[in-house]
This record gives sequence, structure tokens and C-alpha cells, in this order.
Amino acid sequence: MRMYLSFLCCMIAGVTAAQQKPVDTMFDRQLEEVVVTANRSERKLSNVTVPTTLIAQKTIRQSGSLRLHEILGEQTGLFITQSFGRGVQMQGLSPDYTLILLNGEPLIGRTGGVLDLSRVAVGNIKRIEIVKGPSSSLYGSEALGGVINIITDQATGRKLQADLRYGRFQTIDASLNGTIRSGKWTAGGFVNHNSSQGYSLKPNSLTKTVEPFWRFTGQGNLAYQLNQDSRFNLDLRYAQEQIQNSIAVQNLGTVVVSKGRETNHDLNILPSYSYRFNQRLKTSFRGYISQFRSQQALEVKNLVQGYDDQFRQDFYRIENQTDIHISEKLETNVGGGFIKEYVASNRYDSLSTRRANQVGYVFFQQEWRPVEKLTLIAGLRYDANQAYASVWSPKLSLQYRINERWSVTGSAGRGFKAPDFRQLYLNFTNVAAGSYSVFGSLVAKDEVLALQSAGQIDQLMPAFEKLADLKPETSTGLNAGVQYRYGSSGRVQLNIFRNDISNLILTDIIAYKTNGGQIFSYLNISEAFTQGFDVEAGWKFWKYLDVSGGYQFLSTADKAVLEQIDAGQVFKRDEQTGVSSRLTRSDYAGLPGRSKHMANLKFFYNPSSEKWFASARIVYRSGWGTTDLDGNGIINRDDEFAAVFALVNISGGYTVLPGLRVMAGIDNLFNYTDEVNLPGQPGINPYITLSADFKKIKNRSKTK
Amino acid sequence: MKMKTMAAAILGIALFGMYACSKDDNSGNTNQPIQTVTASNIVADTILGIAPSGQPYGSGKFTFFSLERNAVVPSSDSATNKWDIGFRGTTIITNSGNSGLGQGGAFVYVGLFDDLLTIPTDSVFRVDNAPSSYAIPTGSNRGWYVYNAPVNLVTPVPGRVLVIRTATGKYAKIEILNYYRGGVTPAATASDDEKLRNQRFYTFRYRFQPDGTKTF
Repeated sequence: MRMYLSFLCCMIAGVTAAQQKPVDTMFDRQLEEVVVTANRSERKLSNVTVPTTLIAQKTIRQSGSLRLHEILGEQTGLFITQSFGRGVQMQGLSPDYTLILLNGEPLIGRTGGVLDLSRVAVGNIKRIEIVKGPSSSLYGSEALGGVINIITDQATGRKLQADLRYGRFQTIDASLNGTIRSGKWTAGGFVNHNSSQGYSLKPNSLTKTVEPFWRFTGQGNLAYQLNQDSRFNLDLRYAQEQIQNSIAVQNLGTVVVSKGRETNHDLNILPSYSYRFNQRLKTSFRGYISQFRSQQALEVKNLVQGYDDQFRQDFYRIENQTDIHISEKLETNVGGGFIKEYVASNRYDSLSTRRANQVGYVFFQQEWRPVEKLTLIAGLRYDANQAYASVWSPKLSLQYRINERWSVTGSAGRGFKAPDFRQLYLNFTNVAAGSYSVFGSLVAKDEVLALQSAGQIDQLMPAFEKLADLKPETSTGLNAGVQYRYGSSGRVQLNIFRNDISNLILTDIIAYKTNGGQIFSYLNISEAFTQGFDVEAGWKFWKYLDVSGGYQFLSTADKAVLEQIDAGQVFKRDEQTGVSSRLTRSDYAGLPGRSKHMANLKFFYNPSSEKWFASARIVYRSGWGTTDLDGNGIINRDDEFAAVFALVNISGGYTVLPGLRVMAGIDNLFNYTDEVNLPGQPGINPYITLSADFKKIKNRSKTK
Repeated sequence: MKMKTMAAAILGIALFGMYACSKDDNSGNTNQPIQTVTASNIVADTILGIAPSGQPYGSGKFTFFSLERNAVVPSSDSATNKWDIGFRGTTIITNSGNSGLGQGGAFVYVGLFDDLLTIPTDSVFRVDNAPSSYAIPTGSNRGWYVYNAPVNLVTPVPGRVLVIRTATGKYAKIEILNYYRGGVTPAATASDDEKLRNQRFYTFRYRFQPDGTKTF
């Protein structure tokens, strides 16, 4: 930390002294799309060295997306998983391994490793940037598979917009988004209400597949531009969701229905100050406070003590980043910060015991353009963890522009994810369903030994002896791509990827209780890989029809399983004869939850009058492994797969009067449902939205 | 084609009759090479009804089986050396420990039936200590079977061989082939009633070594 500060001072002094005539090609902002996530500083999209996708506000609006998972689910190579809320799978890596940022700061409050994307409203999102491949060299923990950065509207002028939507299942979504500007001050606000009565995919069922919910999001932005070089900014966000919860348990022939409520609160406070010393040197200080509160309360009939599950997470961070534009050929980004994190939960031991972790980190990134066509970037980050081993995360990437139209990119980097509190401290026993227990790795041994001395352990499994301090999960990722651009009307890009993950943390059975209940804990047991390629192409026809498509091929495996298969230790059973035989690599479908093929095709029609628009989007996914049914621990049988599906979503909008627009759409036009594997897919979902842009309405009345 | 013939053969055996087993001609002759025998439709306390609690119930009695004689042994002989293994639902007991008076025992070998030619010398035979533990562990994916709750079906785990020490201290190996009537697992889409009515019928193949050695 101290080393970093003194280094930073030297750099600032050096660059300030060497002030010359500014040559600002890298800060150049033309009409071309600019992204900030890939390099942690502004870059033209066409200049980045790593696979980056940008989703614009217009696309989000015209797709009729309300929550983050809806728009992400239509992107190439991203799949929305449906356990513990909606997570995103990227390059075949689980939701645990993608860092989700809001204006550059991480969203917290993961359950089972998954950050529920449906907690995030998209009504005021200006753009979403998706960076694939390990990015821990800039972002630290969790950025193992990639980073998704949600950038909200920043006030630019006076604007007031209202949207009201009604859809199937009594879905109501209402939002108000406004900005004002006064002198050096700008302020913006966004409020959103989102609710639904839920639905049931199983007829005559006592409980709904998705229970009624109610959500509120409030966001604010306040900025003060002291002068051309100095700016204060404050971003605030508060979100709350309430889910009605009812669980029916059949017990001795009588059905006990318990009613409950799940409440989640998110709070994010992000003050920042940025200062530009000169055209070459810029620094910014950021603070970040985030709180996540979750409570699940359940009242069981005829039972005095109900169920009350609480989880509280607090995240505090201070950070500095300094961007140094040394010359046209050299640019340096350097930064460091300090994180303090607390978690308390009665899932661990008691709410009064706060578990803490602190992290100090520094990062450094050097961009070098030896010749005009070639960009080389080297990055390195060091995270010193209190609770786990420290981690170095390097990354190298390059882009070579062959000519105006063709370019190639390549990158290699390391990513990591620190063990989370749940994996260390969880202490959970489910009495209702089979009396299984899950213990965090740091508490498992003591808990099992205590049960053993009470005579409640039937058998200790080999995994019990392997319990040890958890190491961070790490990955090495390689990406290589070719891009072709035809002006602003067309682009085609191919990216090949491979991610090797080590020290993967999985649950394993460490013991059995005398009542047959299993005891699980977390171990660094596995190594896996994901590899494949994706192709994306987009073309603009006659200036108003945008056609784009994407495809991802994916292959994954647990390396230990491959070794076992090669050693002849994995078996299958002929269902006709009942006889077992050896399984071969070709029988093994890889990690569960991964589709070999995923594709999308999208049409957006926007005539130049902007009077109306229409869109149609098709998302396809081949079958994916769900659960092992035959007991050999892997996905190999046809009935262990979820069915192939394709969803078709359409939408259209018409401007009735200037500033007043009606939009209607149908998600899942052909009413596809799969109650087991896609509980979050309700089937056909028509909706209608009214939007009013009060600035345009006012202008219109002025012209009258 | 070969598969189909085999399936047809097994089906034929199954249809031949309840409790009937295909016997090889030389079972008593130790000079002849031992043969693999298939026992079909061994009833294992089939379900008599559904209790008001929703739980299916049977009579609660074990079906005893002699590997040496390839026959079901009457319950009246339960306190003898005449049986080697017993079936009740998914529980398989051995004539050992507190289950019987014999010198039995067992362990679950992970591998293929045909590959197990000699019982490894470091093998440990377990004995029954009912109801808390059995030589052949009970429970889904702990011994010989896996239970799939979503479809309510019990199927044998691939690559599991039950290595048995018989009541008289001889050795046998068993591969459980099926748990349903006629050796046919009901379709996942079949009704729960059909699944319950047709379960607890064991079909298994085994090799018994009458000379007391551990080779098959």
C-alpha cells in the first residue's frame, strides 16, 4: 500500500513536470462508441483488446426489458440460470464467477454464489458493458469469467420521462426518470415500481411457481462540476423487494401450508471526486458503501417457533485510480484501495457475530503502442486478503489492426474468486427435507466431531479427512479473436476461448448422520475447463433495419471426471438389460447446466422518422445437463438433459403524439414452458407500455 | 441385435414364472467352470397398500435367498445357514451379524461384474448391525441403488458389484439388474401407482464359487 502511494506520487510529479503540448488520441471521443470497463478508462469500442459487448439504452428499451436478466438473456453466449434467483453464465462459467458492477462498483448480496439479476431495474441504464475473460488484473475477486458493468444515466440536461407498463400475471411496472441541470450542478432521479401476482406452472398446485412479488428501486445522481478539471459525483441507489412465500409440506397425510415473506434490501452509496491535473494526468477518488439485508420469515401453522432466516452484508471500499497519458504511445493506469467487508447471519451462527474480511489491493496497467497498428496492454493486480492467501492477477492483451476493416485480438489472464463467507462459516441444517446439513469449511470439523460425540454420526466419508483451509478459486483464460468492420453498417467477429479453472470449490458429502441425513461441506476439489468460440455478426440494411446474430459453441469438463473415465472408473448401465459397462469420454456431457449450442437472431426496425419501431428476437439453446439420475455422478443419459428450446420475443412502438409513445410486445410468443428446468419462464407474456417524454410534450405545446 | 436378443432372453426368463430361476445344469459339479446365473422377480416385500400417512407399506418380512441352491428359502428357515441374502424393499441383508446365524458378510465393489475375477486380498467384509448399518449400505447412492425423487424410481447404480460371503463362508458376486416386476423399469411418465405396484421385484445375476476360493 505504502509502496503504491509513493510510486503514485513519483508518477504524478514526473508527469506534471513533463507537461507538454497535449496529444490526445487515446482520450479522443468522437461519435464512435466508447466503453470504460475493458481498460478501466475510456476507450473506443473498436480499440479494445479483449472481447467486449455494448448494449445501448435504445436496445434495452425496444426489447421491452424491465430487469437486468431479461436483456442479458438475449446476448450471445450468456445464459440466465434459475437457481437462487437469476444468475448469468458466461463462457460456460457459473454465475459465481462473473463480477456485476453498477457504475464501476460491485453489487453485493449473493445467495448460493448467485447475484440475483432480477433485483436490478434497467429503466435508467444508459448502457451495459460486457467484458468476457478473466479481468481480475483490474477488478480483483469474482472477475474470473468476466465483468458486466451497468452504467446508469448521468444527468446531461433537463429531462423527465414516465413509463407505465401492464402485462400478464398483473405485472405492473411504473417508472419516472428525470434530470435537471443548474449551473455547475446536475441532478438525476429514477424511481421504479415493479410487481406481479406470480404464476403457477403446475395446475392445481398449492403453491405458485413464482410467488407474488413487489419491488421498489430508487436511484439518484448528484454531480458538481467545480471547473473543467474537477468534478464531484454522488450516486445513490436503494432497492427493496418483497416476495410472498408459501410452502406446502406433506406430513403424515396432512398438508401443512406455511406462509412467509422474503424481504431484500440493497443500498449503494458511491461518492467520487475526479481531478484532471492536465491533459496527461487524471486521478479519481472513490468511496463505496453497500449494504444488503435479506430476511426470510416463515410462519408454520401450529408451530410456535417459525422460521426466520436473516443475512446481512456490509461492504466498504475506498479507492484511487490515476490515469497517466505519458505519450501518444504510452498510457498508464494505476490504482489501489482498501475493502472491509462484514457478514452476519443466523445461517452461520448468530446475528450478533459479525464475520469480517479485509482486502488491500494495488493494480497497474500499462498500455503501449509501439506502432500505430499495434496495441499491447500488460496489467497486474495484487490482492492482500486477511482471510485467505494473497493473490497476484496478471493479464496480457493485444490488438493488431491489419487495416481499416480487419483486426485481431488476443489476451491471456488470470482470474480469481476468494472463498465467500458461506463457504467458510455456513451452519445450516434442513430439518424439513431429509435432515441434511451444510457446514462451512472452517466450522465443519468441529460440528461433525460434536455430532459424533453425541452419537449422531453413522459414517465419516473420505472427504472429511480432506477438509482444509479453502484456497481462492483461480482461472487462466485465453481469448483470441478476429474482427471485421464495414464502416458503421456492418461487423463480424469471432472469438475463441479457453478457461482452465483450478481449486474449484464444490460441496461434497463429509459424513452421514445416523438418521441417514447427509452432511456437506466445501472443498477445493476440482479442476475444470470451459472452451469454445462465439461468432457475432450485425448488419444494417437500408439504414433502418438492424439484423444481428450470434452463436456460441461450448465444451466443458470436470478434469477429475475425465481422468476417472480414462482410468475406467466411471460406469453406465444398459436400461434394457440392467448390465453395467464402462463409460467413454464421448458419453460424458461435461459440466451440468451448460448447452453445447446457443444462438440468437435479432431484428430491429427503426425508420428514419422515428415515428415507430418494431423488433423480433429469437433466442435458442440446445439441451443442457440437469441432474445425474443413474447415480454415476455425471451427465450421460438422455433423460439427464433439459430439452432444447427457442424463445421468440416481439415488440413494437408507435409515437402517437410527439413525446407520447405506445409500446406493446409479446415475450415468449409460442408459449414455451418447462416447469422443472425453467421455473422462471412463465410462458407467453404480452404487455403494453405507455411512455411520456415531458420535454418533448412541452416543446410541442410551445411550437403550438 | 445382440442386445435385443439378450433383452428378449431376459424377458423370456422373467415371463417363465414368478420365483423361477434359470438354473445351470452343473451347479453341483465343482470340476465344471462356474456359471453366471440370473435370478428374476425375487419378491422383496411388495407393497400391500398405502397407509393414511401416504407411505406405502408391505408385510415387513424379508425374502430369503440361497445363492448356493439358487432358490428362495422359506421364512421358517430364517434362523439357519440355509440362506445367504435377504430382500425387503431396497434393503439387502446378509446372513451375518445380527441378521442371521451364518458366517456371512458383504461389501460393495466399485467396478464391473465381469472384471471382478478375484476378490482383492485387502477387501474388508462388513457384517450387518441392523437397523443402524448393514454390510450392504442402505440409502440412495450409498449401496446398490439410487432413488430419483422427481420421477419416483429406484435404479441400480452402474458399476456396483455386491461381493457376498455366504452363510457357510463361501463367496459370490452379484450385480443387481432391476428392481421392478419383470425386470422392466416403468417409464418415468408412468403413474405413481404403477411404479409402486411393480416395485420390489429383484432381478440380479450372480456367480457363486462353491469351492470356497475367492476367484470367479
